[in-house]
Amino acid sequence: MEPEPTDAALVARCRSGDDSAWTLLVERFSRYVYAICSQGFRLGRHDTEDVFQDVFTRAYENLPKLRNDDAIRPWLAQLTRRLCIDHLRDATREVPVEELEPDGMDELIETLDDALTVREAMARIGEPCGDMLDRFFARDQSYRTIGEELDLPAGTIASRISRCLEKLKAAMEDSEALVSPEVG
Amino acid sequence: MATTDIEELGRLIAALPPTPEGWVRAAQELPQVRRGLDDLLARAEADSALRERLLADLESTLADAGIEPTRHVLSDVRERLRSP
Repeated sequence: MEPEPTDAALVARCRSGDDSAWTLLVERFSRYVYAICSQGFRLGRHDTEDVFQDVFTRAYENLPKLRNDDAIRPWLAQLTRRLCIDHLRDATREVPVEELEPDGMDELIETLDDALTVREAMARIGEPCGDMLDRFFARDQSYRTIGEELDLPAGTIASRISRCLEKLKAAMEDSEALVSPEVG
Repeated sequence: MATTDIEELGRLIAALPPTPEGWVRAAQELPQVRRGLDDLLARAEADSALRERLLADLESTLADAGIEPTRHVLSDVRERLRSP
């Protein structure tokens, strides 16, 4: 299995005009941007869609100006926050700007950053585990639906999910070890 | 990231629910749509009949050029047509 490109490699490829890299970049960060708008700012569906498209349009236009390719994630988070605030300000002019951002936004972004790290590990453990965990936890599908869609006996789904979680945990521990190797 | 706790992993997977597919597709198609629009607007600058058609019936003219006239595309083109 080919390793997923790093954020920096993806940005560099986008900048050189590689459409497939842009497709991958949108796929990688779409849930992140969506979650900031919908969970963080609690925008309605229509407003979330407006901000979502605006974020990626501006990201596409301004990617060449990004100083540090590794910083795409915080840059996108900041851009999304700013555009959500602009959107709310247009709708509610009488509310001071500093009151437009809900409390706890930094904590939410921190959680979403961790969630993206888990997603990276899910990509490393491969299929069907990544898909199965996504269906169960993120898409909220039942054992029965997962079984039907993946053509697996429903009675085995719970144990498969449990094994996949263990595999994910091991992948996370491996990446932790790579980030902070033990000394001695 | 500190956690490798199983329950926490489940919670973090759930923290990023899927984005509506159509939104993702529209964002992914941005480079092709941009190139199509650039080409169309460049032609409209040199061809007054095409520019008039764009102003009179933007949606159909875009569709005829193979560009899906989504709300965001329409808004973008209107802005670009307004600018000198």
